[in-house]
Amino acid sequence: MTSTGTTTEERATPAAPTTRRLKDASRSKKRPVATIYILILLLCVFFVGPFVWLVLAALKTPAEWASLPIRILPEDAQWNNFVAAFTDMNFIGYAGNSLFLATTYSVLITLSSAAVGFGFARLRAPGKKALFLIVLATMMIPQILTLLPTYILFSRIGLVNTYWPWILWGLAASPYMVFLFRQFFSSLPKELEDAAIIDGAGWFRIFATIFLPLSRPVLITSFLLSFTWTWGDYIAPALLLDLDNTTLAVAITAFYQDPNGNTIPTVQAAAAVMYIIPVLLIFFFTQRYFVRSTVSSGVKG
Amino acid sequence: MARKWTRYPKRTFYAFVAPWALGFLLLTAAPMVYGFLVSLTNFDGSSPRYKWVGLNNYIELFGDPDMWAALARTLAFTVIVVPLTVGGSLGLAVIINRRLRAVGLWRTVFFLPSVVPVVAMAIMWKLVFNKDSGILNAILGVAGIPPVAWLIDPVVFYSLIIVMLWGLGGGMIIMLAALQGVPVELEEAARIDGAGRWAVFRHVTIPMISPILFFQIVTGVIVALQVFVQPLLLTNSAGISTVGGVPESTTLYMVQVYQEFFLSNRFGYGSAMLWVFFLIILGLTLILLRSSRSWVYYEVDTDAEREGAAR
Repeated sequence: MTSTGTTTEERATPAAPTTRRLKDASRSKKRPVATIYILILLLCVFFVGPFVWLVLAALKTPAEWASLPIRILPEDAQWNNFVAAFTDMNFIGYAGNSLFLATTYSVLITLSSAAVGFGFARLRAPGKKALFLIVLATMMIPQILTLLPTYILFSRIGLVNTYWPWILWGLAASPYMVFLFRQFFSSLPKELEDAAIIDGAGWFRIFATIFLPLSRPVLITSFLLSFTWTWGDYIAPALLLDLDNTTLAVAITAFYQDPNGNTIPTVQAAAAVMYIIPVLLIFFFTQRYFVRSTVSSGVKG
Repeated sequence: MARKWTRYPKRTFYAFVAPWALGFLLLTAAPMVYGFLVSLTNFDGSSPRYKWVGLNNYIELFGDPDMWAALARTLAFTVIVVPLTVGGSLGLAVIINRRLRAVGLWRTVFFLPSVVPVVAMAIMWKLVFNKDSGILNAILGVAGIPPVAWLIDPVVFYSLIIVMLWGLGGGMIIMLAALQGVPVELEEAARIDGAGRWAVFRHVTIPMISPILFFQIVTGVIVALQVFVQPLLLTNSAGISTVGGVPESTTLYMVQVYQEFFLSNRFGYGSAMLWVFFLIILGLTLILLRSSRSWVYYEVDTDAEREGAAR
């Protein structure tokens, strides 16, 4: 069962099937020794341990969390930490803000990047090569460097504490998604559009009715990536939005305090668990899209 | 019909790429130019009575010991983190590339942390690193090691590195694809010629995947240099307004920039810091690109490939 699961997943990576088979054959003689499994076990502790400790903290009373010597397991699972996470602040409201921003941004950026990628892949005009080089170069400009000047600029023209920045960023296409779409559209045969051109269809109709439906896997990849990115983004909402209409990411770091202003770690942990559940679900069910986009981001150089 | 029919009207191309072009001009280029203009003033973020100060901010920057300290810290951080993440992700990929039981499960486990939002990551690791209630000190305590103050100077610098390493699964996936792209015939030929496992890895596999290694190093350097949210949230969860609470040893360059903006209200000076940093990153990237000619092996003629790709 494990082996079939593996082979289907590995097909997502660009290894030629024949190469793969040869490799397996050459390796089958020497099975890895127990040390490899011990190493993997230690690595799993490193990678999974923080998740487990977070969940355990979310189920403890504050006294259990602070007790010395340390208590690994809670006496009784404190599910009311999760209730407190909902009621100590407007959790659902902030989650709604995150959902709205992430969905709007992801739909917009996916469509705009598809259009731009299509232009670079299928159309021609002077200056196309130079423009595409600029696209590649802007992939290297880190957002964090432009964010502070953007913040000053937006605060002067009244866009701070609105959702407009995300709409504008969404409309503007992202160089990385443009690159993904361009690679995909370039790989399709020319004959696809020939009949439509003879029938007198314009390029926009060709794009919307022929190419866009074909690019479903890239559309999904782009949407999922943008969604998890916006859901997880901290710095842009922290800079651009006030606390009363910010996103969940900022809210869970800012609230959950006792009357003395100290964060209550157990309730914050419960909120963090609920905050990452959507990301984990998306990841588990759509892992191959993440794998594919990561691979193509790594080999573009 | 006044105009001649053409399959590729120029205007159509420009219309299709317009969203990106306008976005680049208005949301990337304009803020950068605006940031440069602000860097020539003593703007404090709110009062409209600011003055042009010419290059004074830049001159002051060169004599600012805090800036130099933050820059040196950031470079040290980068020099430690990049080899560890690139080497670590290659190591994980080598493990995952073997015939193992439940290999898909291990790969998911290693990959997963790289998609966890930074806020949740910081909350998790704060709980792990907690001096009294953290699991890490509890484990060390079993071995008789006294509790370590993981989130306080100077140890917090290394704690931050551990947190960065936790997310290296994305790099592993890229390395895995690279390893599986190496033709098996090459490795087998070397084995037949009597090369050992390590020699094959060192002299066949590494050169074959060197373009991807190189790309990982370049992006790794760019990412490591501008790390900001992790040090902020790992030690100070109340947000940007309390950026002054970040310990000295994790006050990396971008942390210092945010302190100038939101602690000292020196928007002009902070903007100058940003521009200098942009030039430093650009310079380092160009140096790395230059160095690549001597050690990165390109199998195909890159010019021909580029021709083909541009079609």
